[in-house]
Amino acid sequence: MSNVTRTWKLNGKSVTVRAPAGRRLLDVLRDDLGLTGSKESCGEGECGACTVLVDDEPMVSCLIPVGQLPNGTEILTIEGIARKAAGRVIQQAYIECGAVQCGFCIPGMVVSSYALLQRNPKPSTRAIRDALAGNLCRCTGYAKIIQAVKLAATRLAKRTR
Amino acid sequence: MTKARKNARQLIGTGMHRVDAAGKVSGETRYLNDMPLKGILHGVVVRSPVPRGILKAVEPDPAYNWTGITVATAKDIPGENVVHMHDRTMPLLAEVGAEVRYRGEPVAVVAAKTLAQASAAAAHIRVEVDPLPPLLTLAEAVAVFKSTPDKFDSMKSQDIVKGDIAKGFAEADDILEGEYEAGHQEQLYLENQGVVVYPQKDGSIFADGSLQCPYFPVHELNDPLQLPPEKIRVRQTPIGGAFGGKEEYPTMLIGYAALPALKSGKPVKITYERNEDILFTPKRHPVWVRYKTGFKKDGTLTAIECDYILDGGAYLTISDVVMFRGILHCALAYRCDNVVIRGKVARTHSMPCGAFRGFGAPQAIWGIESHIDAVAAHLGRAPHEYRQQIHIRPGDSTPTGQILSAENGSTTCLKQALQRADFARKWRQSSQGKLRKGQQKLYGVGLAFLGHGSAFTGDGEAKFKAKGRVELATLANGKPGVNIRVSSTEMGQGVHTIFTQIAADALSLAPEHIRFPLADTAFVPNSGPTVASRTTMVVGNVVYRAAQDLKQQIEAFAAQHFFRGAAATLKDSQLVAKGARPVPFAKVAQAMLKEIGGASGSFQFNLPDSIRWDQTTFKGDSYPGYSWMANIAEVEIDPLTYELAVTRVTAVIDIGRVINPVTAGGQVEGGLTQALGYAVMEKMGTGKNGLYDAARLQTYIIPTALDTPEFDIHFVEYPYTFAPPGAKGVGELPMDGLAPAIANAVAAATGRRLRQIPITPEAIYEAVHGGREGTP
Repeated sequence: MSNVTRTWKLNGKSVTVRAPAGRRLLDVLRDDLGLTGSKESCGEGECGACTVLVDDEPMVSCLIPVGQLPNGTEILTIEGIARKAAGRVIQQAYIECGAVQCGFCIPGMVVSSYALLQRNPKPSTRAIRDALAGNLCRCTGYAKIIQAVKLAATRLAKRTR
Repeated sequence: MTKARKNARQLIGTGMHRVDAAGKVSGETRYLNDMPLKGILHGVVVRSPVPRGILKAVEPDPAYNWTGITVATAKDIPGENVVHMHDRTMPLLAEVGAEVRYRGEPVAVVAAKTLAQASAAAAHIRVEVDPLPPLLTLAEAVAVFKSTPDKFDSMKSQDIVKGDIAKGFAEADDILEGEYEAGHQEQLYLENQGVVVYPQKDGSIFADGSLQCPYFPVHELNDPLQLPPEKIRVRQTPIGGAFGGKEEYPTMLIGYAALPALKSGKPVKITYERNEDILFTPKRHPVWVRYKTGFKKDGTLTAIECDYILDGGAYLTISDVVMFRGILHCALAYRCDNVVIRGKVARTHSMPCGAFRGFGAPQAIWGIESHIDAVAAHLGRAPHEYRQQIHIRPGDSTPTGQILSAENGSTTCLKQALQRADFARKWRQSSQGKLRKGQQKLYGVGLAFLGHGSAFTGDGEAKFKAKGRVELATLANGKPGVNIRVSSTEMGQGVHTIFTQIAADALSLAPEHIRFPLADTAFVPNSGPTVASRTTMVVGNVVYRAAQDLKQQIEAFAAQHFFRGAAATLKDSQLVAKGARPVPFAKVAQAMLKEIGGASGSFQFNLPDSIRWDQTTFKGDSYPGYSWMANIAEVEIDPLTYELAVTRVTAVIDIGRVINPVTAGGQVEGGLTQALGYAVMEKMGTGKNGLYDAARLQTYIIPTALDTPEFDIHFVEYPYTFAPPGAKGVGELPMDGLAPAIANAVAAATGRRLRQIPITPEAIYEAVHGGREGTP
């Protein structure tokens, strides 16, 4: 497959990548750019462990061929979210609520939580469940993750007031 | 109480934040596939294309370019071609001329610089098999057991006998029989299996792996690799979930990777992709269990007879012990003087089944808890009221004749769960097959009650004698502190956190002085595998005692070097002596490291001498301690589509002393959610081609955030006082009871008992509309 060259805004910085057009975004992030926070578990878009934000939308990076992302696309991975104030609030809430066990789903969960709270700062329990339904966790039963998103929402609301 | 005492921070019993959480939320924790590795080869396993046959040839295509590619077959195995496991029958790779026994049985390993090269080359290995007729499923094996029992192929059998079963049935006013079945269940840890094997110059190997039991490969691969234990070093990488799935199987993977690594002299990595991981790693054993119970008019059980058969797959591996745990839980929770339980492990031509949270107990409890509800219904009794009458309690004897001590909170769990869930009222509201006034959906509530044996079965812990150390060391941050050295692995359950709490309290140190490095057999003594709900109870006690030992050494050193011989005490991270200014722990530790090179506290676990166990007759004390749970499920079923929702789950649990209520709660919520999947959605069988019929996440469905119920989880504490701080097991127990609780709730909602899980809408439809499963 022919190579493409793309310049994206990745985690706030301009990054140029050259790769076969069909190469998965996940592989470019992990193998070419060393951003191993996004995980691969199922490789077919079912588990959400590789979730990143593409122009603010949570997407599974294992299903995105890099040729499909035009120049100027904004991509935010867990590494970028960890540097944002709201991202750190969410991460801290996950820690405090005991929402983390093996941790393998957590980067994707945090990305999906961040996307949810960006568009819906006061989500209902149902809205949280909906937003996280594409992120599988086998350890926690989701209860403490849902609790963490609620705690983060409360703290973020206080900050912006 | 003095001021200092009031301020003394005790961590045991608190929800201390996880010590490993920061790296996990930031994405910085490096799992095996996140580690940059240069100059390694990638290995691919070549497998049998049929479930059974005589292996005729494993031959690389002579026309293919094999430059730079390493191929290992059984001929490359340095020693005897056998992985020890429990009966020394399974080869590491199938040999030409011998029988292959399951579809996917490894016949060769191909390694190359890239995974793509290795996969391409693997496709050019010709595997020729003369097929033989396979027996693929447990259903086929059970059919043989029922029709021609002497032709039934059991890899291991074990009976439990108590009292006189004939007398028990003779005394009964009534008898009820029932059969219950469950299929495979996939662990579905999010991080797939993976190992890297580095061959060393001295001929030894060093392996990194996502694995629960670092000492297993050290002791299981000696014969095939011709390496003594000290020449096999294994280190745990951060584990992205395991649930038993990374108990015995990683030993195989290390064996597979070691062959091309030793042949090529280069490190070899094998990681599975999801599809291969589901198809070719062990699952929870399918079960067929039959109960025949005799009882008096007042409900007293006079006889319990049970046949419990697991599908072991093609080789025994560890299935004997799974079956042992299973039969020990088949009739544990109820009073009965006459019991016969017959356990068997059927051989089928399928991937060997293995460890999965619960280890035979969920299958047993699925049967007995369904059956006890059926008996209650037969007697016209409410299930909760009947269980309150017949459940086992302190002073009673188990099927193996163990007398339960006062450290068993069975009655309290049952009583409190019924109260918390308002069971009696909700039971009366159950639809029983017909919508009641105001109900849009069929509603039902169901109960399960159970005990779960903590730690190795019988005298396993007495024989094993788990060892551990707590050492003074310079930590990674350059400061003096304490390292916990045990072989227990962190796989998400929280052991790094709770052992930090235990060591901190035993030493009276703040947790920032304590580290728990990932287990590496070069540095940790063998405290046993991280399995069997034994870690907190047994190894937690080892850490506690070893830390106390180290504390004494630190105090003795401080007395001599800082307090002119006056008795010193380590308290709240400082050394104190009467009439002297306290000295910070770090200062004393630094001096110890400098002057005597450090110090190490150690302990070896022993059971009390009073423990009796006969492994031949299965009589005596089958577990050192028991955890207990009463588990209640509420369900709503759409009367049109039979779509099932589990809306609320209550669990009251005795796990002894709760070290960390947050991590313990997380274990319970997670385990209940796996049990929810087992009960209503996770469906997997062996297809006609010998492969599992669900092999990807699109076909094997596990619970999402939209599927989980509201949880009400409550702990009651009946500590195991022999082993301070007094914990019992929690890891497996939450997996045990929810499937039957849901089936019992479905029976209350529909008036039909389902005897097979998962309970899908299709299965409910069949039951309600007179399908073969439904019995009123």
